[in-house]
Amino acid sequence: MIRYILHRLALAVPILLAVFTLVFLVVRVLPGDPAVAALGDYASEEALEALRERMGLNDPLPVQYVRFLGNMLRGDLGRSLINGKPINEQVAYVLPYTLMLTAAAVAIGTVLGIPLGVFTALRRNTWIDYVGRIFSLAGLSVPAFYLAILLIFLFAVRLGWFPAVGGGDLAQDPVGSLRFLVLPAFTLGLIMTASVTRLTRSTMLNVLREDYVRTAQAKGLHRWAVLLGHALRSAMLPIVSLIGLWTASLIGDSVLTEFVFSRPGLGKMLVGAILQRDYSALQSIMVIYAFFVVVINLLTDLTYGFLDPRIRHSQSAQ
Amino acid sequence: MESTLPAAPAAPELRTQRQRAWHTFKRNRTALVGLAMVVLVALVAIFSDTVLIAPLTDAEPTPLLAPYDPTIQDPRNRLLPPSWEHPMGLDTYGRDIFSRILYGARVSLMVGILSVALGGILGVILGLVAGYSGGAAEQWIMRSVDVLMAFPSLLMGLMVLAVLGSGLTKMIIAIGIMLAPGFVRVVHGATLGAKQNDYILAARAIGAGHPRILFRHLLPNILGEVVVLASIWVASAIRVEASLSFIGLGVSPPTPAWGTMIREGVQYLTTAPWIALFPGLAILFTVLAFNLLGDGLRDVLDPKSYQ
Amino acid sequence: MRARSVLWLLAVLVLLLGACAAPQQAPEGQAPAPAVEEPMEEPAEPLILRLGQNAADLRSLDPHFATTTQDRSLVDMVFNALLRYKPGNGAFELMEPDLAEDFPTMEMVDGKQVWTFKLRQGVMCHPSEVTEAYELTAEDVVYSLEKAATPERSAYAGEYNGMTFEAVDDYTVRITLETPLSPVLFYPKVANYSGGMIVCKKAIEAMGDEAFKTAPVGTGPFMFASYSPQEKVVLAANPDYFRGRPKLDGVEMRYIPDISSREAGLLAGELDVINGIPDIAWVDRMKGEGDVQVDVFGVGEVATVHFNMTKPPLDIPEVRKALAYALDRDEFLALFGEPIAENVYSPVPAKFLAGGLTREEVEALGLAYDVDRERARQMLADAGFPDGFDLEVVSSEMTGYRRIYESMQAQLAEIGVRLKVNIVDHSTMHSLIRQDVNPIVVYIAWRPNADVYLTRFFHSDSIVVTGAKPDTNFSHYDRIDDLIEQARGETDPEQQIQLWKEAQIQILEDMAAYPLHYQQQVYARRANVDYGHELVSVFALYPGIDENTTIQR
Repeated sequence: MIRYILHRLALAVPILLAVFTLVFLVVRVLPGDPAVAALGDYASEEALEALRERMGLNDPLPVQYVRFLGNMLRGDLGRSLINGKPINEQVAYVLPYTLMLTAAAVAIGTVLGIPLGVFTALRRNTWIDYVGRIFSLAGLSVPAFYLAILLIFLFAVRLGWFPAVGGGDLAQDPVGSLRFLVLPAFTLGLIMTASVTRLTRSTMLNVLREDYVRTAQAKGLHRWAVLLGHALRSAMLPIVSLIGLWTASLIGDSVLTEFVFSRPGLGKMLVGAILQRDYSALQSIMVIYAFFVVVINLLTDLTYGFLDPRIRHSQSAQ
Repeated sequence: MESTLPAAPAAPELRTQRQRAWHTFKRNRTALVGLAMVVLVALVAIFSDTVLIAPLTDAEPTPLLAPYDPTIQDPRNRLLPPSWEHPMGLDTYGRDIFSRILYGARVSLMVGILSVALGGILGVILGLVAGYSGGAAEQWIMRSVDVLMAFPSLLMGLMVLAVLGSGLTKMIIAIGIMLAPGFVRVVHGATLGAKQNDYILAARAIGAGHPRILFRHLLPNILGEVVVLASIWVASAIRVEASLSFIGLGVSPPTPAWGTMIREGVQYLTTAPWIALFPGLAILFTVLAFNLLGDGLRDVLDPKSYQ
Repeated sequence: MRARSVLWLLAVLVLLLGACAAPQQAPEGQAPAPAVEEPMEEPAEPLILRLGQNAADLRSLDPHFATTTQDRSLVDMVFNALLRYKPGNGAFELMEPDLAEDFPTMEMVDGKQVWTFKLRQGVMCHPSEVTEAYELTAEDVVYSLEKAATPERSAYAGEYNGMTFEAVDDYTVRITLETPLSPVLFYPKVANYSGGMIVCKKAIEAMGDEAFKTAPVGTGPFMFASYSPQEKVVLAANPDYFRGRPKLDGVEMRYIPDISSREAGLLAGELDVINGIPDIAWVDRMKGEGDVQVDVFGVGEVATVHFNMTKPPLDIPEVRKALAYALDRDEFLALFGEPIAENVYSPVPAKFLAGGLTREEVEALGLAYDVDRERARQMLADAGFPDGFDLEVVSSEMTGYRRIYESMQAQLAEIGVRLKVNIVDHSTMHSLIRQDVNPIVVYIAWRPNADVYLTRFFHSDSIVVTGAKPDTNFSHYDRIDDLIEQARGETDPEQQIQLWKEAQIQILEDMAAYPLHYQQQVYARRANVDYGHELVSVFALYPGIDENTTIQR
């Protein structure tokens, strides 16, 4: 098992390198350049050229590549091309906000989604099922930013229950900042709930028809024992896969939510970096994302193995 | 699972299988509602103007279902609230929102369906191959998927669009590329599970060729799940299109697209809420339609659901 | 009004549909935190003005690199210059001394202009993490102006060509100009805009240029306190400000790029001032909210349509004029509404700057180019394009640009000209138009005087890509170089204005560019916010917050 984990982590190194290289090349294909973004519409070509030189953008690509890579290996993400602030510092500041938001949304999605899915599967074709399905489908159909804005106006402006904007002060007042977390977390969490509910329901229906479940029922095992011990456990494979997918994509999907709620975060930093062509920030953040995603994928696969011994065996055989 | 019951019945039974499928489908009320909604959206998309008939008479298409030309601007009457004349009001350029919603179905449908088709075909082929063959092919495919999945999907779409430039085709390609790795992963996972099944082992034992096993035995077995996912992805694709448009990189103007309309309207959510509200409802309706239809199809396509 | 409430009901319904996907809140770790007691407004609370700005983050608080609205507004509160525009009114005639005791004296030495400034005594640089508070002297001023003139250390270096700076004694600064300038052109270079801002030498030398971008040290009414990336910059009152301690205890500039969030923040009382939407419909609605005031003020950023005279068929003057006659200023104007936008008839806006042409003037010359689509069609047909032609442009995704291009698309379609508009992000548009991809460029910009407008947009040196100093001459226009240069050297203000007008008449006769309108600044505030000055025009594109600004309680 430990060998398997180490093996997978070793595989992650080339992935991160590939991500870095891909991003390094892609950002340089993008039209636009950071000097223009930094100086805005007032800039003259002379000022732009001076800035490009200072940013090191006039060096040959291989030189830039080795320089960025070398710094990154030493754990130094470099400085933002735009405001000159060390990227390490900025990331350290915004990362907790994104992680909290993602964790909260995944928690909401899982804790609400799985029971709801199981429940509607058991009550198949009753009005509960229909109502649950239509609501979960509707939840799935609302664009996140649209939901975010509706939530702001209802709960922040009309009712005044939660703050409308910002992320709170995580360092000074972590408890107070939870209030800022509620609306964004529910924006993302509700959409994930809808998705998890749907998949849980459909896989549960599948599993409930499987012969071994019927056999177990025929053997007279208690209904809940069958449900939790057999059915849900085998239904978990695709669900875990979906939760893994969602966790990875929520980190990215948090972008628009962070944007609408003006909440600091990695996604917002990344969009800023894309729009301002801040190559050094862009590369660093992408690699950080990649790292998280690799870890999440690894966890997903490990859970797979845990849930389905057949897969574990075939994996350790490799 | 009895080994005597093949997952995909042989040819002579196909006709009865289809009949049986239609029979099951007809009885599935949610599926019928979904189908009706999708057909409605499709009809609206096709007949919002005379684009089908106009070429016959060599004329420019004129609005048919839509009361107005969706690109005609009337800035002096902009932001007019809904009225009998303009049931959904006028937007920031003074264009009729109702007409734009009807025409906008085209972009949403095209992006939603074509990008999922693109991503789905790529994803199913690669996922099946990876899951079934194992070994080096699996390693290469899944590690490439890992690299691509390491990009947050929306941002990947954003970057692909930034490189390609904006526009309808580019939007479809961007979202298709964005969805493909997700398909691969899920199909791969499902294949891993399915290939352990007795009937696959049996098929192997009797010496069935790989393509036959892949497409006659494995594919039908996971198709149900793929269809359920595809219906989620059509929904996602439509929402992603809206999100990318919300960021400002949607289809080129003046083509009406719901996502772009919401972007425009979000600024005016308190001043002129109808601008963002109606396209939001249109998206909701369309996505709901696909999800309902997908649910119904799942019951029908899943071979195990025949009682 | 009824329609609106019905719509609101619908919106809430949609919301409930989404919310109902979740049953009654299950108990779990992320449950809403118990309501933390809202800080009650007590008199003892520090008086902090919270400003919601339309930006995702800062770019640079080094004033010599601050080019965007969000940066300029912060820099404006932290720094001073030798001279300044009167708070709330940027008219040249109202300029006043700032760090200087009085306006400078000028003498000619060997054909060169020598301007001498006497500095105020006792002006203190803010304390910072690396330096104590210390008195600002001529040494700092010279250092700062030299920095502004160095291309590697300033975005405005080009404006200080041929100028030398020297400290005569601690309180006297002498600036020598190779080529003489009239005050209209010289004063803005040493005023509180762009390169004229004076930075504190010891602080920037101690921390380095890069660090200074996020930890600026100046002499202004507010001093830098902290910066939270993507979230806010906090400024604290400078107790030693030479005009007296500010009435506010501090300013918080929050970065909130989404207008709905800013609006919600203002209405919920979490923000005191926000950057609004330049749209009369929004202004009217916000005015209807209790406790909210909306200010519409200058300066107006001018939107001009530049025709690329090298791209066929726009190389034919009649074709350009036909396009001009096809465009309807009032239709563009209606998209924003007066007084947020107002028509202009020359590239230099007559309302804000000397040298602009008024409607009466261009009308008398027959150069108003009022819409006349019949004539436009005729001119196109005469030029050999009875069926129109195709053009392809890129537009920024930003509303201000997109709206103009999209409206132009519909208007040009009326005369058979098919304009394909490709939407790209904002900085990409700026890069691409500088690479000369657009046959038609819409540019929205504020420049501090007529010379800068004309030099950067219409002097042949500034032609994109191919000019001697490529800049923003998108028209490839080269017929008024002599007029621009002559005006620049002219020290008689009357004569100078005349030359500028002549130059612009030439531009209009050749239809190199079609001046559209200027867009003013829109800010909403809670009614208890008092800026301490009347708002007419502010170069920094925000309401101007200084020692007199306060919040009434």
